[in-house]
Amino acid sequence: MGIRRSAILGALALASVSLSAFSASAEDVTISVWSLDRDIQPAPNLIKDFNKLNTGIKVEYRQIQFDDVVSEAMRAYSTGQAPDIIAVDNPEHALFSSRGAFLDLTDMIAKSTVVKPENYFPGPLASVTWDGKYYGIPKATNTIALYYNKDMFKAKGLDPNKPPQTWDELVEAARKLTDPAANVYGITFSAKANEEGTFQFLPWAQMAGGSYDNINAEGAVKALDIWKKIIDEKLASPDTLTRSQWDSTGTFNSGNAAMAISGPWELDRMIEEAKFDWGVALLPVPEVGAERSSAMGDFNWAIFANTEHPAEAFKVLEYFVSQDNRMFKDFGQLPARSDISIPPTGEPLKDAALNVFVEQLKHAKPRGPHPAWPKISKAIQDAIQAALTGQMSSKEALDQAAEKIKAVQG
Amino acid sequence: MKRILASVTDGKGFDIGLVVLPLAFLFVMSGLPLVYNVVMSFQEVDMFSLGSFLRPFVGFKNYVDLFSQPETRPILFNTALFVSASIAGQFLIGFGLALFFWVNFPGASWLRGLFLVSWVMPGLVVGAIWNWILSGDFGVLNFLLRETGVIDGNIFWRSDPNYSLWAVIIANIWLGTSFNMILLSVGLSGIPKDLYEAAELDGANALQRFWTITLPMMRSTIGAIIALGLIFTLQQFDLFAAITSGGPNNTSNVTQYWAWDLSFRQYDFAKGATISVIMIVFVMFASVVYVRSTRHEVRG
Repeated sequence: MGIRRSAILGALALASVSLSAFSASAEDVTISVWSLDRDIQPAPNLIKDFNKLNTGIKVEYRQIQFDDVVSEAMRAYSTGQAPDIIAVDNPEHALFSSRGAFLDLTDMIAKSTVVKPENYFPGPLASVTWDGKYYGIPKATNTIALYYNKDMFKAKGLDPNKPPQTWDELVEAARKLTDPAANVYGITFSAKANEEGTFQFLPWAQMAGGSYDNINAEGAVKALDIWKKIIDEKLASPDTLTRSQWDSTGTFNSGNAAMAISGPWELDRMIEEAKFDWGVALLPVPEVGAERSSAMGDFNWAIFANTEHPAEAFKVLEYFVSQDNRMFKDFGQLPARSDISIPPTGEPLKDAALNVFVEQLKHAKPRGPHPAWPKISKAIQDAIQAALTGQMSSKEALDQAAEKIKAVQG
Repeated sequence: MKRILASVTDGKGFDIGLVVLPLAFLFVMSGLPLVYNVVMSFQEVDMFSLGSFLRPFVGFKNYVDLFSQPETRPILFNTALFVSASIAGQFLIGFGLALFFWVNFPGASWLRGLFLVSWVMPGLVVGAIWNWILSGDFGVLNFLLRETGVIDGNIFWRSDPNYSLWAVIIANIWLGTSFNMILLSVGLSGIPKDLYEAAELDGANALQRFWTITLPMMRSTIGAIIALGLIFTLQQFDLFAAITSGGPNNTSNVTQYWAWDLSFRQYDFAKGATISVIMIVFVMFASVVYVRSTRHEVRG
């Protein structure tokens, strides 16, 4: 009796051990994802949908704050606790790829049937590229263009269907539209002492033949001179130097500025707030026929190099990419791809604006890519502000910036 | 062993324990990070070596590099101006208010409590509010100054290099005044009333009573307030982030904001640490002055 009982117990124990061993082998691989997306934005929703597919890969999500993305990621990586997948702001991508912190995805992308480099706009693709290899996949993208108040154009005798095309036309239009008695500035933009200032100025420099590693090019000096002219003649508020893009465009919406340089993230608010007819035009160029350029924003996906499950992590990214056509419809973000057309929203002003933004995106250039981008950006911000406040001439300010950037590049 | 235990129960060992425990706590929680910070300022730190302690030693290179940057001197000057102007403003207005409420008219204590509202508000909220007040085009401050005829055209507080630092100083004075007022009120209420009665009998007028009784009796309170003010203004960060971001062109940048910008925006942790070390030296100098002035008070 005793023996039999213990035999049964033993068998049961054995069975349970083998059962648990079996279930362990079938357990899902867990992939952790960090991004700054909130519950109405893509990452958490796409992850929820992915987990429903039961692919044997379980994805965990953690939301991090915008200001903490890089420092959290660095700390986690240097202590070996990095997530498998992270979303980083595009000018910061090179920082990680140049140091081998991100996984080289070139071979995986070459074999992939979902991720195809040729589908992407050149700007976003360049931001995930380092040394000719792909270290990430663009998540979404945005850029800036010129919003203008058609009613004010009419009132001041300007053709509302012919927004300014060149810098000179822009300044001329701003002069006509500026009306201090009515508290109206001709134009509003941001020259703030943070990344926003660089984001807004760099396209101007690039259109005129400058670039971050040639920031004191003749064209860039001319661009800064035009900005200075706009501020000096009070065609834009002096507070341009401390106002964010969001706050600047707010003055456009309230009818205190006739034109605004900003991005598609303003569209929904503008439709709600702006009680006038408005349109969007491509950023004016130095002269007719000059090369176009634009800023490029938004985040990229990347896989950390020390992940234990690179193949599974890539599968998760492939799933995200396969859902790119939902990016705009469900989440209001522009996919970084030229092969996806943005569906009409039924809001004519918004649809017309989106067409312009998609056109402008073709000319969008990444900031950098350079591992020390924030330092380069700071040098450019200081130069913009030194010139606009009259502490230095545009040439002196940009020469100093060029020197600082050279030192950073080493 | 028994002796040690006995000494604990007797009292002497207990006393030593009471001193050692907090000292150990202090050393671990603030001493070690301080030392780590100093060490970091002599190393080449980059974001990927942030997790390890063994990094290349570069001597005074960070310091030399820092002082060869064109913005360093103006930023140090801004810091000195920000700290002294903020403390002076907070103290003078706070003292004025404390004396005013000392008069004890009906509702004085209730009104005094209302002043504390500014002290309980988070810095970023205060910053956002002052950001609107100081706005060049639509700001309330400009409106008031214009309507009262003080200025003709709008002052662009945040964006004019001549005013940007003052914009933050004004907001900071507003933020710190109530704290000064409360501490000074406490100090005032500690002065024995009979001193004033005696002085009055001797024929001292209000101003003489203030100079010969109030100020000397308040010396230690004032010393403490100025020392605390120095610490609070040196760690004031939110207002800079909310109002000017240190711009335009660093004219309102101060060391504490710059240290953050270098460390967490430009990822130059070594330089951020270097600035922190400079600030530590500055604070230590101030606290030595403070300790010496209050030691004199105790001997009195």
